[in-house]
Amino acid sequence: MQYGMIIDLERCVGCHACTIACRAEWEVPVPYQRNWVKRLGPTMTDYGMTATYYPGLCNHCDKPPCVDECPAEAVDMTFTDAKSGKTKTMKVTATWKDPFDGTVQIDKDRCLGCGACADACPYGARYINPAQADDISEGKADKCSYCKPRVDQGLVPACVLTCITDARIFGDLDDPKSAVSQYVKKGAKGLEVKDGHIGPNSMYFGKKKDMALLFADYTPKLADMGSVKRRAMMASMVKPAMRKAKEIGVLGLAGAMLVKGLPENDEK
Amino acid sequence: MAFNLTRRKFLQTASLAAASVPLSKVVSASTGVSKSALDAKGTAGDKTVVGGICEMCFWRCQLVGKVRDGRLMKLEGNPKSIDNGTAVCARGNAGVKLLYDVDRLKYPMKNVGKRGEPKWKRISWKEALDECGSRLKSTVDQYGAHAICVFPHGASAKYPMHYFERAVGTHNVSESSFFQCRGIRDTAYVATINKAPGEKIDMPNTKVLFFIGDHLGENVHISHIKQYIQGLQNGAKLIVADPRFSASAAKADIWVQIKPGTDTAYILAIMNYLVQNNKYDKEFVEDYTDGFEEFAKAIKEWTLEKAAKECDIPAKQIKEVAEMLAANAPNVAIHPGRYVSWHGNDFQRQRALACLTGILGAYYVKGGWVPAKGPKVKGVSWAKEDHGHKYDLNYDHQEDENIYPYSPPGTPTELIRDCAISGKPYPIKSCVVWGQNPMQTIPNQQKTKDLFNAMDFVMCVDVMPTDVTAWADILLPEVSYLERYDYIKKGTQWDLSQEHQQYIAARMPLVDPMFERKDQVYICNELAKRMGHGDKIPVKTIEEMVDKSLASVDLSIEQLRAEDGIHIMPGKDPYGVPEDFEVLLYNEDIEDAGYPGAPTYVTVPDNPKGFARLIYGRAPVHSFNRSQNNVWLHNAMPDNPVWVNDEVAAQIGLIDGDTVGFVNSEGVESTTTTTVKVTAGIRKDCVYMYHGYGSANPLLTTGVGAGVDETSLITKLAVDPETGCNGMRNNFVKLIKNGKVLDIPA
Repeated sequence: MQYGMIIDLERCVGCHACTIACRAEWEVPVPYQRNWVKRLGPTMTDYGMTATYYPGLCNHCDKPPCVDECPAEAVDMTFTDAKSGKTKTMKVTATWKDPFDGTVQIDKDRCLGCGACADACPYGARYINPAQADDISEGKADKCSYCKPRVDQGLVPACVLTCITDARIFGDLDDPKSAVSQYVKKGAKGLEVKDGHIGPNSMYFGKKKDMALLFADYTPKLADMGSVKRRAMMASMVKPAMRKAKEIGVLGLAGAMLVKGLPENDEK
Repeated sequence: MAFNLTRRKFLQTASLAAASVPLSKVVSASTGVSKSALDAKGTAGDKTVVGGICEMCFWRCQLVGKVRDGRLMKLEGNPKSIDNGTAVCARGNAGVKLLYDVDRLKYPMKNVGKRGEPKWKRISWKEALDECGSRLKSTVDQYGAHAICVFPHGASAKYPMHYFERAVGTHNVSESSFFQCRGIRDTAYVATINKAPGEKIDMPNTKVLFFIGDHLGENVHISHIKQYIQGLQNGAKLIVADPRFSASAAKADIWVQIKPGTDTAYILAIMNYLVQNNKYDKEFVEDYTDGFEEFAKAIKEWTLEKAAKECDIPAKQIKEVAEMLAANAPNVAIHPGRYVSWHGNDFQRQRALACLTGILGAYYVKGGWVPAKGPKVKGVSWAKEDHGHKYDLNYDHQEDENIYPYSPPGTPTELIRDCAISGKPYPIKSCVVWGQNPMQTIPNQQKTKDLFNAMDFVMCVDVMPTDVTAWADILLPEVSYLERYDYIKKGTQWDLSQEHQQYIAARMPLVDPMFERKDQVYICNELAKRMGHGDKIPVKTIEEMVDKSLASVDLSIEQLRAEDGIHIMPGKDPYGVPEDFEVLLYNEDIEDAGYPGAPTYVTVPDNPKGFARLIYGRAPVHSFNRSQNNVWLHNAMPDNPVWVNDEVAAQIGLIDGDTVGFVNSEGVESTTTTTVKVTAGIRKDCVYMYHGYGSANPLLTTGVGAGVDETSLITKLAVDPETGCNGMRNNFVKLIKNGKVLDIPA
């Protein structure tokens, strides 16, 4: 099973309902985002005057470059398939690709907040959420989870629920009968990187001219892994110190002290 | 990263994470994967509260709230809705940020500084109401009821508007939704088909969609957008006339890059082509229209070539559009528009659209203009009283007729403003602003300031501070649409090809009000008691108002709540032309009133040398100025980039992302700046911005100074002669970069 999302650009009107619903559902603080809508054009292309949108989110890639870069200590984790009840145990760092549904997830407790995964993502789909800081980090990596906690309960992702034109379609790409698979047959495509094959599972469908503009403007390159690896290494080096802090600190108290100490210069 | 974290900002971001969360793991029962306490919980487990009716804009989608520990976490479409369904737009989703906006009005305030430069002092409700009541009463006692002018907007303003119009007895009420927006559309269609058209076109089932300036996608009303997209998915062709490659133009089959102000000439040429080439619906014209001969004669001059020259578009494209409409008639949807206060020649354009629909036979047919048959619910408000014409500024006592015969309800804004400033024909001495922000709805801000300065007393009621609340003497905090009962929303399923259904939903609070905010019925009734109208009060509470209204259809708040907020019942087939239906292609009454009886093109002033015409429209994430302080929406579109044609930009040295200000042809400069969007998708003779940005009130800590307030640059007034409504697109600007004024090449 591989969950995927189709965004039908023929239906999308660029209204941003998806991005704001996501903020509400997952308490994503401004200015960060789990998903986005960029307006492209209007500009003259080979197909004439063109304008469309880039509604972006985590691609839950087949080979997610973010997962490989996590410097957190690997531990055994047992996964259970929400549908069949099957289990599988594997070694994972603080971020992994789920063996059953293919989504890419994060363990906030073990995340060091180093940002290596965010740097490794060619789509800029990850950020460090300072509202999730604890005693071992200044925040946790955060991103679209395909609303896994909702989906596991049988609900649709928040962005899909709110989409005003049904332009967002969610489902199992491994199921040839699913609506998402039908879209792939019609030509829906992910924004695959220029210099590799990571297999993005969020895909776009649209008129030729709109797809051409989107892919021309937003086909990414793989990140410079050298610098990503340096950051990850730095994070793993300071890890023991953070662990120690964890034993002493309590977020609530630290948070309260932080608030007390902050300047009040914007209160009028 | 330089991150100037302040206490308030920290609380804004951190408050949702609610520091009280225990630091323990939650193990998901379904997957066995542990979930950190740091993770946001998601709203799936929150309590669902029904009965929400949105008012981030005025389409009023039906909502449910997700409530956690008394706090509204999220808004979703009511799954029972046959209108918006589970969908909510960006603004609707951001309603929670209006609800908890730290800048919201919390207590009654008295201005102890100057108007426009206020110093606010918190006062009690009793003191506030006593002062408002006594000041308004003394105005009435001294000068008469007509000495009060009222600027209302939105659901909460209806009850007080009726109070001032009916019980107090002033004609001087000006709603921005009429006089600066859609009023012209409504009265022009009434003068043609005897009905206000709404946006009731059967888009899902049409073959051709015809838009003049409509920019659906940037202009977002959910069920309307659903209809539009369904129509396109079903294979409808889309024709969009717009100087700019709008969100709709991007989905169009034909983009008509029309010269601003010339739309009527374009429509006349299409109609003339249809008439001259016998491509109109003769049977419909015979059966259901009046004045065809006069109409055909009057538009005869509008050949394709003449219109092509006037509108600066190819003649063959006009022909292509006319042919496409004719080939698909009568299943064509001529959009009546919504915001239509453009150039001061707008009544005639709206008449032309109504007539075009008529000669194509596109009324009451599949894919045409079809008013869905919704339920009727009786409104409950102040009893109507006749106050005569004596103090009606829109009445010519010598001629014994209205000055603006096709004015929407209320009094044209310019008549009120001129009277207030000059004191002629009578003094206007008090002003009540309820939910409207006239600073950013009415053109020429200086005149609006002059109006306020001429008042003895100004009171404002609103949810948020706005640019107009700075001019209040007393400022009253209102509960938001999420904390009160009031509006009754009714309608049908959005796709007329589906099973015919009707629905009734009443606004119910999703959470309790906070601070000292009060609802409109409380505030208005307290004013009425103090102004001597206590005996006329129609309802004691807002709940009673809604319940009485629902009783007219054998419903109640309790019943609606039991039905999950929406009552659904069988509907009726809306298709089929009513026997008495008539389209007045030529309207003798209009001619008798001194205006052209057949739709007529009136030219608008051309660009002065070196200036571009300033045009503007909607941003999908904002409702005009109202939502500018919303943290989530502001973040989505923090300013209103000015669209500049790429060739023009190259000539005057502008690049994408440049920061610019503006000066208009009357020398008025913008007080803020915005960024430049260089694009091939706009004509060279105009520039475009989103409306509503550039708030000046520093109490809007997020929205203040964000982008440019284009209304501040609209100083040259145009008034539509038939309706008295404002035309606002006859203003011209130059851009200012680094202090240098840039001439726009001709």
